[in-house]
Amino acid sequence: MSPSGQHLHPAPQPFTATSDVLISLAERANQVDQMVSQAADALLFPTIPDGLALVAVGGYGRRQLFPFSDVDLLLLCENETIPRERKPEISAFLQRLWDAGLRVSQSVRTPEECLAVHEQNTELNISLLDQRFLAGDRPLYAKLSKKFPRFVQSNRDALMRNLVRLTRERHTKYADTFYHLEPNVKETPGGLRDLQFVRWMEQLRDADATRLTSPEAPDELREAFRFLARLRFALHTQSGRDQNLLTFDAQDALADNGEGKDVAAWMREYYRQARAANRAALRSLELWDAQSSALFAQFVGWRSRLSNADFSVHRERVHFRSPHQLESDPELALRLFEFVARHGIRLSNEAVNQLESRLSRLREYFDENRSLWPALNQILSQTHAPLAVRSMHETGVLFALFPGLEQIECLVVRDFFHRYTVDEHTLVAIQNAWSAPSSYGELLREVPQKGVLLFALLFHDSGKAHSEAAAGYAGHVEASLQAGDAAMRRIRMPAPERDTVSFLIRNHMELSSAMRSRDLADPKAIHDVAQAVGTEDRLKALTLVTYADISAVNPSVMTPWRSSQLWRLYMAVYRELTRELSEERIADAAFESGAELVEGLPVRYLRTHSQEEIAEHVALAVKSEARGVAVDIHSLESAWQLTAITGDRPGLFARMAGTLAGFGMNILRAEAFSNRRGQVLDTFVFADPTRTLELNPSELDRLRTTAERVILGKLDVRDLLKNRPKPKPLSRKVRVRTAIRFDDEASTTATLIEIVAEDRPGLLYDLASAISSSGGNIEVVLIDTQANRAIDVFYVTVGGRKLTVDEQSAMGEELRKACTPA
Amino acid sequence: MKKIEAIIQPFKLDEVKEALQAIGVEGMTISEVRGHGRQKGHKEVYRGQEYTVDLLPKVKVEVVVGDGRVDEVTRTIVEAARTGKIGDGKIFVLDVIEAIRIRNDDRGESVL
Repeated sequence: MSPSGQHLHPAPQPFTATSDVLISLAERANQVDQMVSQAADALLFPTIPDGLALVAVGGYGRRQLFPFSDVDLLLLCENETIPRERKPEISAFLQRLWDAGLRVSQSVRTPEECLAVHEQNTELNISLLDQRFLAGDRPLYAKLSKKFPRFVQSNRDALMRNLVRLTRERHTKYADTFYHLEPNVKETPGGLRDLQFVRWMEQLRDADATRLTSPEAPDELREAFRFLARLRFALHTQSGRDQNLLTFDAQDALADNGEGKDVAAWMREYYRQARAANRAALRSLELWDAQSSALFAQFVGWRSRLSNADFSVHRERVHFRSPHQLESDPELALRLFEFVARHGIRLSNEAVNQLESRLSRLREYFDENRSLWPALNQILSQTHAPLAVRSMHETGVLFALFPGLEQIECLVVRDFFHRYTVDEHTLVAIQNAWSAPSSYGELLREVPQKGVLLFALLFHDSGKAHSEAAAGYAGHVEASLQAGDAAMRRIRMPAPERDTVSFLIRNHMELSSAMRSRDLADPKAIHDVAQAVGTEDRLKALTLVTYADISAVNPSVMTPWRSSQLWRLYMAVYRELTRELSEERIADAAFESGAELVEGLPVRYLRTHSQEEIAEHVALAVKSEARGVAVDIHSLESAWQLTAITGDRPGLFARMAGTLAGFGMNILRAEAFSNRRGQVLDTFVFADPTRTLELNPSELDRLRTTAERVILGKLDVRDLLKNRPKPKPLSRKVRVRTAIRFDDEASTTATLIEIVAEDRPGLLYDLASAISSSGGNIEVVLIDTQANRAIDVFYVTVGGRKLTVDEQSAMGEELRKACTPA
Repeated sequence: MKKIEAIIQPFKLDEVKEALQAIGVEGMTISEVRGHGRQKGHKEVYRGQEYTVDLLPKVKVEVVVGDGRVDEVTRTIVEAARTGKIGDGKIFVLDVIEAIRIRNDDRGESVL
């Protein structure tokens, strides 16, 4: 046996693009054919002249035998006595093949067994699709081969169903992505199995009663197959065994083609081919879904009602109605992705092709510095934004929009922990942020600008291609900032949003670094983090970015342990941020004008207001000199903001809250600060549920003048409130339990009162009145609402000092009554 | 041979690892664990809801050394991990009956 054994395992060769691997694979199959029939003639057939046939199945049957892969051999026996009685001969035969270096994977079956559906052993059924007679009892084999096509045709559904199930399980095992840093070229999505799957599905689908088809693969799949097959061939010869994992070492060796090696470029070629293979497999799966389920067919009709003038929905996929419009109106592409983001419906293959074919037009359009942020924000803040971004990535539109992201396409950064390429990591991070569980999910609901958050995630690692250049662990941050900044200016994102994105990118590792290396029970550590973060809104966004980033490294990184560490840090910093209000005041303001207004305000004021806003406040303060008060009301994106500057007086805050309540407004957020001069700067962000201000411009004026008069004491706010609708009594199933907490430690000068209650119009007025009527003076206020929950923090003094225990319980009673009106 | 199990504060892990490597202890096993000592933990309030934190995240470092090195190793860990505050952690020393290298079946202290 040795002569043929020598040629059996070829020596390792450089991975070249020119060798035709199919010939090598077929040659090897022929060699093995010879060895098998020689061994069978010598050891098997002399004593078993009939009732036994040798059949090649699986890869061997296809004549695609890789140097060290298993040889799938079927011993077809007429009945079960033959294998029992001829066991010694069969063992000797197999032993002979093993000794010659063949890894035989044999199965012994009767024709009946081969013509049955095996739910638990789909591999057996599928391997028979590639059957090829080798030697032995021909008539016996004919029994199987004649009946086999009809068997397939009659059991088509079951066979396809099982194969689909197997494939989906395999895909899930590999996290449904082909962007693995060390892929298994056989099993990973986009590998050889995916290509075989496509072929098998076609065979099953097209089988008729008389024969199995041998479908021709389309060109692009043939190319992918050649590439992957050559790759597997090279891996086998390199390692001398059935090694299919494209390890980092293997990548290095294979990329070295004698002209120096560019591993990254070489891997990009791999991903290109894997993408084609995976897409074909996914399309095959989709086709199966579409054809197999009656229920699905009904469901399909319901979703197509989402069709609109630009797009139609058919079979759960969205299509362009007039794709040629992309030429004249490239923003149609953006509207398409908004549709996807809104409804969660995937692109049809047609739409994908149409977009891909017009990429240069789109790129041309996007290259002109246009104001694209509003349209993009629409996409990025919707429920299904992650799906939309992924579609944009797949079609190439994302790179047309942001050429700065091309540097991370299929970028491999080799690292023990990271499972994915950098662009896949980014997409996974975005998905994780959107589907964060429990408490983190609540944070997402509270973040005011989701689109901004998503944009920051999109660019947070964009500079990773340059991390060699910059020093240290955080080397990529600067480069990511630059890439992000360039992209933001390209789409004309407004400055405040740009600031937030830059902040998030610059600090996206702050929290995980603190978790790892600082003592979370140490007040100084928390204080430092709070200083770096600045405001609660930024803290929430940053926490989400951190959560998303960590859990996108690989599926097992975000352990409950790590998740609770992060949450612990978040809570501690949150407390610190809401607590330092009354402590840290601006001492010497380096302002040209306006120093008088700003000195004595909490340091937080500088952090939460831009230069423009501060200038506006200063102007307002000047106005207030004349009449003792100045009120400004203007509209925000989806709410209104009232700012008032005046001298401090008792009950002021309550009265202002009451004024807004009297006009039917719903207060969402509020801040009340006082400075060294005894001036008060109150800001209310409120919603106008009945759109009164929008529809009646004169109401805006009336609100403003009323507010001024109430502040100056010329109007009693209780008169205003007499006519407001009575608050609805709280339902039996109170969704939010009222919680009132007094904290004497938070501040050196005041008592902190934190109230969580079910939100309702007029709540703030009632609470503030309760405090005032109990003799309390409100120093600082921080109001927030979260869905139907109001979270109000007051810093209160009585007679200039903290509250006594008795005063606390009396005030607590009043507050409780205020929360739950009779 | 003795196994030294140290439960330490997570932020002290890098320091402890470096200190052990500096005295020539190369092999170690690290796990993320949760627990508490006699001072159980505390209540935290967030947004009106109480969170009882009684299982605090810690890190467990396990090393196996020859009998002669136990004192040196425990002293090293203590110095690296100590902050002086509650929550610093504890070290336990256990007997090891046998050590085997899986790759080649070597046994005994030479395996460490």
